[in-house]
Amino acid sequence: MTTRATRSPRRRTVVALAVVLVVLSAFVVRLVDIQVVNAREHVDDSEQFATGAKSTLYGARGDIVDDNGVVLASSTTLYDVQIDPMLAAQGAVQADAGGNAMTDADGKNIMTPWTDVAPKIAAITGQSAADVEKIVSDALAENSASRFAYVKRYVSTEEYRALAALKLPFLTFPLHPSRTYPDGAVAGNLIGFVGSDGDPLEGLESLQNSCLQATDGSLTYQRGADGVIIPGTEIEKPAVNGGTLKLTIDSDLQWFMQQLIAEETARYQADWGGIIVMEAKTGKIRALAETNTVDPNDPGASDPDNRGSRLLRVSYEPGSTFKPVTAATVIEQGGLTPTSTVETPDRIQFPNGAVINDSESHPTQNLTLTGGLVESSNVAMSQFGAQVPAETRYDYLKRFGVGDGTALNWSGEPTGEVRDASTWDNQTFYTTTFGQAFTVTPTQVTSLFQTIANGGVRMPAQLVESCTKPDGTVVTPTLPAPVQVIKPQTAAEVSQMLENVYAQGTLADDIKIPGYRLAVKTGTAQIPDGHGGYKDNLFMTSLAGYAPADDPQYVVLTLFNEPKTNTMSSANRSVFKKAMTQVLTHYRVMPSGSDTPLLPVTQ
Amino acid sequence: MSVPAESNLDPFVGAAPLPLRTPGAPARRLHAVEQPAPRRRPRLVYGIVAVSGALLIGGAQMGLSILTTQSSYELSTLGDQQRSLDWQKQMLQDSIAGLSSPQYLAANAEAMGMVTGQAPTYLRLSDNAVIGTAAGLTGASAVNALSKAAVGNALVSGRPLVGDPAASLGATGGSSVVDKAIPDTTTPPAIADGLPVPATH
Repeated sequence: MTTRATRSPRRRTVVALAVVLVVLSAFVVRLVDIQVVNAREHVDDSEQFATGAKSTLYGARGDIVDDNGVVLASSTTLYDVQIDPMLAAQGAVQADAGGNAMTDADGKNIMTPWTDVAPKIAAITGQSAADVEKIVSDALAENSASRFAYVKRYVSTEEYRALAALKLPFLTFPLHPSRTYPDGAVAGNLIGFVGSDGDPLEGLESLQNSCLQATDGSLTYQRGADGVIIPGTEIEKPAVNGGTLKLTIDSDLQWFMQQLIAEETARYQADWGGIIVMEAKTGKIRALAETNTVDPNDPGASDPDNRGSRLLRVSYEPGSTFKPVTAATVIEQGGLTPTSTVETPDRIQFPNGAVINDSESHPTQNLTLTGGLVESSNVAMSQFGAQVPAETRYDYLKRFGVGDGTALNWSGEPTGEVRDASTWDNQTFYTTTFGQAFTVTPTQVTSLFQTIANGGVRMPAQLVESCTKPDGTVVTPTLPAPVQVIKPQTAAEVSQMLENVYAQGTLADDIKIPGYRLAVKTGTAQIPDGHGGYKDNLFMTSLAGYAPADDPQYVVLTLFNEPKTNTMSSANRSVFKKAMTQVLTHYRVMPSGSDTPLLPVTQ
Repeated sequence: MSVPAESNLDPFVGAAPLPLRTPGAPARRLHAVEQPAPRRRPRLVYGIVAVSGALLIGGAQMGLSILTTQSSYELSTLGDQQRSLDWQKQMLQDSIAGLSSPQYLAANAEAMGMVTGQAPTYLRLSDNAVIGTAAGLTGASAVNALSKAAVGNALVSGRPLVGDPAASLGATGGSSVVDKAIPDTTTPPAIADGLPVPATH
């Protein structure tokens, strides 16, 4: 029997239970919110406000080493010197020998005035005391409660420790992972540099950043009152160091070439100059020197134009260094031999109206194909080249890599340009036989000689040997496959003719390296003046070659832009001879032990 | 069918007679155990083991905790030492950085009068054959690593040479050295606009 009396307590129970449940579920929701949904935030807060601390573990950016493991770039640490101007202006508390603050009779700290402290700081940072005082007074003038100013940025560990030893509470020293380049400007054009904030800005530092860059870790812990880490509270996320980047460059050889090209560029008052040394059988670049080269330790000291590699970003009409391509083409496609002849005046007008001149006047000669190269005769080469169709010659230029860039994939590297044979006009039909009307990069010219030296097989140009990850795995760059550009027999014939350029050409005495057989070719390329014509009497001169010609080991290209005290390719003779001599000495290449078989120049 | 049907139908035939419950006479089947099984006294040793075990665990815990705390101080001290040694190492590395660089070594070599750039000559050990020209020093050095130093290195700039303490590599090389070298050349200045010459050769 349910009466009013019995119903009421039951309802009350139910209501009470419901209230309890509602409150309970509210608590559960809040608990989940705190423990799960916003857990991270609260943990962060606890770390920030409580005894917890978090520090960054910096991973070391990877080293860049040369072919022999010599370190060209490595990681170091620099520090900022930050000051709290408001505290600094009050001076520093004097401490006794035990490090305790000294107090006067009233129990007040005895202060060293700021004007006495500033000279101590200045003596270490190398500034003047007035400079340091000015930093503080300027900061206070702007904001009388200023708590932050830089005394000096990026100081060395030595200065940092000396400053820390002053025990000034208003100085702090945030750390900067930084880069140091022990060999300075050696290969600075290739290595590039990183900005003061650690961002790679130029060269391989930037191109190979994926290999070099480190991942920072962190260490979270709680501290006791005395600063000691409470056991069991540490959570470490380890930093991952960057990989070691190994280059194909030899730093000693690179230095020599840089020193050499700088001296020779000054001697001939050229705008700039460059040397490339490439291994003939592998395409690996052993030195790539140029003027002027940035010192990555101090990129700011260099003119902005000199901070990158000019040599890898220039393309030009190669001129006579591409005559061997014409020779190879007519041997393979025109059935000619090194002793085939043409009648060669110093000026010729072709039936289509094109006029070709030789650089020097000479009597009409019956030049062989070899002679065309030895005398570097435009008239002879255009007559030989005209014996095969323009399309075939275009195909050969493309096969030698013109217009396709290089395997270096440098930032801003031109690909070289050659227009399709169908667009060649009457003059272009002939000028393409001696390296005009198309452009190439210095690396492509070096690759051309490498191809001839290596039995007609072009190996991809290579600057990066490998990347060794911190776990020891070695990653080698993916390179295009070698290309058989011309037949080995053709390459051998062209090589013999180039040897005769060395043995019988006008430069023979100037570049002779006793005991060695060399194969070389000069080039004096015209430079567009920007108004549709060419600059007067200013050229891009080059001399390329390889040694020993009987078993080619190294290809050397030397290049001057606009040499002025000797405007022709003969300016390159001394630099080429010195560079090649050094390469042969450096790599202990044995002398040839035989003489160049001479081929007839005229018949 | 000689069995009398009556006897078969009676379920109680042959059954034991129900005990008669007579007041005052307790049932005989259940009777109290005369004497409770003597309770074995708990052995003292277990207690001691349990208590001392607990104490031991507690003690060990405390000991371990003390040791951990102790070693965290040691760790902290060692960490400080490590940091200070790292700083020292960094300072020492900074102080020798660049000394092994080729331009510094070559400048030292030049200061001591060494030259470079001669054609190489080899001595073959097997038959004492001299391969190469066997010519000695025939001229000036191919490069002037000190007097025309052109490859800069901020790390060693201004640092006195070992071979000649009065000399040092200048500030960042490059342009400054090239500029300096130009007045040294005796060649005439450029002909800016001479006769137009043939294209190439």
